[in-house]
Amino acid sequence: MSLGGRPRPQPDRDSAPWWEAVRRHELLVQECGDCGTLRFPPRAICGRCRSRRSAWAPVRGTGRVASWVVNHQVFLRAFADEVPYAVLHVRLDEADDLFMYGDLTGADPADVTPGMPVRAVFTDVDDDLTLVRWRPR
Amino acid sequence: MGLRDRAAIAGVGYTPFSKDSGVSTLTLAIDAILAALDDAGLGVDDVDALATHRVGDSTPPWVVAPALGVPEVHWYLDQFGGGSVSHAVIGQAAMAVAAGVARTVVCYRAINARSEFRMGGTGRGVAPVFDAQYQAPYGHFAPPQQFAMFTRAHMIKYGTTHEQLGAIAVTQRAHAAGNPRALKRDPITMEDYLASRWIAEPLRLLDCCLETDGACAVVVTSAERARDLAAPPVLISGAVWGGGDSLLSGQGGDFTVSEAARIAPRLYAMAGAGPEDVDVAELYDCFTYSVLVQLEDYGFCAKGEGGPYAASGATRLGGPLPVNTHGGFLSEGYVHGINHVAEAVAQLRGTAGDRQVRGAEVALSTAQPGYVLAGTSALILRADR
Repeated sequence: MSLGGRPRPQPDRDSAPWWEAVRRHELLVQECGDCGTLRFPPRAICGRCRSRRSAWAPVRGTGRVASWVVNHQVFLRAFADEVPYAVLHVRLDEADDLFMYGDLTGADPADVTPGMPVRAVFTDVDDDLTLVRWRPR
Repeated sequence: MGLRDRAAIAGVGYTPFSKDSGVSTLTLAIDAILAALDDAGLGVDDVDALATHRVGDSTPPWVVAPALGVPEVHWYLDQFGGGSVSHAVIGQAAMAVAAGVARTVVCYRAINARSEFRMGGTGRGVAPVFDAQYQAPYGHFAPPQQFAMFTRAHMIKYGTTHEQLGAIAVTQRAHAAGNPRALKRDPITMEDYLASRWIAEPLRLLDCCLETDGACAVVVTSAERARDLAAPPVLISGAVWGGGDSLLSGQGGDFTVSEAARIAPRLYAMAGAGPEDVDVAELYDCFTYSVLVQLEDYGFCAKGEGGPYAASGATRLGGPLPVNTHGGFLSEGYVHGINHVAEAVAQLRGTAGDRQVRGAEVALSTAQPGYVLAGTSALILRADR
């Protein structure tokens, strides 16, 4: 199964370091340099204390399924061979309001349950792109 | 007070709804605007302002105005955005009228949402920028997928069921039977609903609105002037837009509450009315779930009770709160919000025929409740009696 036909992310000046880390198989979020709040997606400012100081912080790559969708309709041809596929909304273990999206891998979409523990896995699509997907743990 | 009762809707116009209009969005806009002006007893020479919203899928005011031969444009609005800003366009027209910068505003939405620009992205590329860069590569970008994610979260937290969503689809189809304009008028049963195919689980085909070609327009002018025009005026008693969260990015992350919960108090305060005063509600229904969550967030039932409330029959014609009396986007057609306003106007004029809510004096009409793009918008309209 090739993932190369999927829509490719267009990293911007805020997100480029994040995608570069994913390329190295590292999952990062930003940590506010003043109040310590973790945030994702990447932004120049902390929405809680408005500080501009931040550092990239690794996360464990573990979380729980907050919600999910099982896709049957083919909206783009790139996914024609993948339906039915599940996309997860994952709450990271580090903080209640840290979420990431990704598709389910290594399990049947019918077996997803609320709160199911998952772990991030990195799939190298080609020389330029790595995607973060989620596997039950 | 804000904008309360300072501006009014003086005219409404439609094109036919179809799956293939065969004409440009410019022609659709022109046809709907001319029909709305005719309804108001006005002509193009009376127009001094135009307002619309679009997401790269329609014709802007600065193309429509010269095509119509509008003598001079004093104000226009070309708002970026989809359903969430549909009612903000009319609210801003009311603001322009109240501020005295415009006298006669035509608000329109013209889309070939089936034959040219399908929201589902079928055939059209996705721009994986901003928040979408973290979603589109995983096959998560089309509106049914996004709303399925919110629906599931509500099911997990409150035990909302498929049958409760189905009740919304079945009710709205029954309402559409009384609407000659509706694209789908044949009744459906709960069995039909449950048998319809999955699009993005937990949403089925019959949870989804109809991709539609068509246009709708309304004329906004001052309340005082509207009283001298051809049609009975419908007062804009509350007009609110805003919000603040983008739930798409995941921060905050509670998909069970929409932005409607935030703007509802301001809306009701401006109108001097509460949910108990609303006689009829036209609630944005891109999907059944958006109706369900708005029943809660506009205060018609307790949080989490939207499913049981919808399933109780409360939203049927003849019930305490008839909802989407025209059939909504699920059965009339999808003109991205403004056809909800037009239906509310018909209800308040008492011209809704077989689907008339008897004695309707106060209507709530709402936009996409603030998922996907930050914010939402809504109007409270009142009969001028």
